[in-house]
Amino acid sequence: MSSAKTGNILHNHKILVANRGEIAMRIMRACGKLGIPFAAIHTAEDAASGHVLLARAKGGEKSLFRVSSYHDANELMSVADEAACTAVHPGYGFFAEDFRFARRVTKRDRKMIFIGPSWKIIRELGDKINTKRLARSLGVPTVPGSDRPIYDEMEAERIAKTIFEFQEQQGITHPLVLVKASAGGGGMGIEEVYDPDQFRSVYRRVRNYALRQFKDEGVLIEQRIMDFNHLEVQIVSDRTGSNPVHFGTRNCSIQSTGLQKRIEVAPGFTPQALRYSFDAQKVLDDIVAYSLKMARSVGYDNVGTWEWIVTRKGEPFLMEVNTRIQVENGVSARIAKIRGQGGVDLIAEQIRTGLGEPLGYRQDDIDFEGVGIEYRLIAEDPDSNFTPWVGRIERFDWKDAPWLTMLTHVPDKLPYEIPTEFDPNLALAIIHGKDIQEAKARGAAFLDSLSLTGQNDSGASLKSNAAFLKDNTERILLF
Amino acid sequence: MIDISELLDAIKSSPYREIVVAAPHTGRMSFAALETGMCVHGPQGQWKEMPGTTLGTLEREGNPKPICAPENGEICRIHKELDGGFVEAGAPLVVLRHMLTRDEVQRIILQKTLYLFRAPERAKYYFTPETDKKIRATDAHSVTIRDGMELFIMSRMKREVPLHYAGPDGVIYEIYFKYNENLDAGAPLIGVCPRDHLHVIQDMIARVQTEWTET
Repeated sequence: MSSAKTGNILHNHKILVANRGEIAMRIMRACGKLGIPFAAIHTAEDAASGHVLLARAKGGEKSLFRVSSYHDANELMSVADEAACTAVHPGYGFFAEDFRFARRVTKRDRKMIFIGPSWKIIRELGDKINTKRLARSLGVPTVPGSDRPIYDEMEAERIAKTIFEFQEQQGITHPLVLVKASAGGGGMGIEEVYDPDQFRSVYRRVRNYALRQFKDEGVLIEQRIMDFNHLEVQIVSDRTGSNPVHFGTRNCSIQSTGLQKRIEVAPGFTPQALRYSFDAQKVLDDIVAYSLKMARSVGYDNVGTWEWIVTRKGEPFLMEVNTRIQVENGVSARIAKIRGQGGVDLIAEQIRTGLGEPLGYRQDDIDFEGVGIEYRLIAEDPDSNFTPWVGRIERFDWKDAPWLTMLTHVPDKLPYEIPTEFDPNLALAIIHGKDIQEAKARGAAFLDSLSLTGQNDSGASLKSNAAFLKDNTERILLF
Repeated sequence: MIDISELLDAIKSSPYREIVVAAPHTGRMSFAALETGMCVHGPQGQWKEMPGTTLGTLEREGNPKPICAPENGEICRIHKELDGGFVEAGAPLVVLRHMLTRDEVQRIILQKTLYLFRAPERAKYYFTPETDKKIRATDAHSVTIRDGMELFIMSRMKREVPLHYAGPDGVIYEIYFKYNENLDAGAPLIGVCPRDHLHVIQDMIARVQTEWTET
């Protein structure tokens, strides 16, 4: 970020970091780079988290507040007022894709800036159904299935039956249907149905889960496309919404059984290094073009991700749009450079453009170099359906290297009790290599150097997904 | 066999507990006219429809929220230094000394007599939809459970897993968790009473009702 670009617009702003963990830390660091003061929040359970320690160390006076919940909008607004914040950064999760919250922030008596897309865009694209309709209207391919949330069991069964029959007609030997919580996101509340007779019980389970977790029992029913790659396109635009650029593609195909991403790679395919049964470069070009087309059509005005699935035949289908910064933005930033500025911090770009600065560069100014791999280190048991592990971390070490960036909220001083209220994510390890082979070798070396131990009250040793990550490193970008 | 007289004597030797009334959320705190030693009331009425004595007001986003005494008691400490200031969630505001009621004594004794099925881990717990329906339709006392039965959904870190009951067959006599509440590992979830012991429990309750005098 050149200092010349961070002009007057950024002065006199103070940002409320309305999130926790590593994303809160990245936002605070980005604020530091841009010279913007911030205030942070934490709940009682998070008192020992790295983001609390960082806020205490770097935030200055009136920069850290204990709240009852990260989910309470009133709480956030009262802290923002008390700390005299002028903008709110929601991070990812919590309020990041809540258009009502974004609208409230920008429309209240003491108006603030919501650092994310404008609330109308979140409303339009944050809804999977609307996104699907918009995509279809623009000729963008989408996954076959329902294009509105289903609340009626009989109707749900009818749709599932049609999708099963469609797959049988297509000659698919093991047809599958996906049942998703309509209001869900990030892979939560999704189940597969193998047997049409099992549909009703799965539907009821997902519906009940959706009601408990998202207060909306609507579900989507879609064809489950097997044997696909999960790709993403990273879009950035400024408040004019007229000049979106992309920061390349990511491949997030290596997931846990709960459809949770575990390894992300940028770029999405490497046709120069690996052989594909289809024109991989054309697929990447197509999904970028489709994503930019949709972004332009809605006047997309901040950071967002278009999520795609690509079948073995090389057919892309749009899944959804995430109208927020994502966990994995760092791996795209790691391989990108803006001409004349050097490395990229997508969170700083989000803050800068969110506060009203123009983008200041064009697509031609963005260069990509090498391959980035991001490992999500999580306290979970891969042998037991990736069940979260609860307990204390007693040791967490790794060998530093210039090609490695570790993002973690686990404090240096251990032991650290993992709070049970949130995802059991421990760290993101971002590795860079000049090509896929080098990146994989470095990834394996990092995992070999990792020492992560702990135990819980019942004496059980910490379980993590490190071995799963290592086992799957060889699979990266192979279709 | 539990010696109920011994239990009652133990409770009588220290028949109160201290309650810390904390700020439920952030906001600007204004205390009511309170003095140390003053008696306050908790919520009253058949459905506790009358709130307890107002201890102060916590204002957030222009909405004043009355902070009321959660139980009857005597004020031991008032954090007057917070008056008029911005308080964080969880900040202690007032400390009350609450004399145990008959119902509370009964609950303490029940916890020692019933079979307690405890939370294996810190998490949120829900009954499975089938059990939930039965409890709503009748009441917990008429729901019979058996060892190995899938009884709860344990939700933690956004993941839900089924939890099977392990213990003696019987009826659910007490429910110790609330919807959407995070429980620590080891906290009791339900108290179970075998059907043929129900009369023993009823006798104990009758004894508490007659032997415990509320002050």
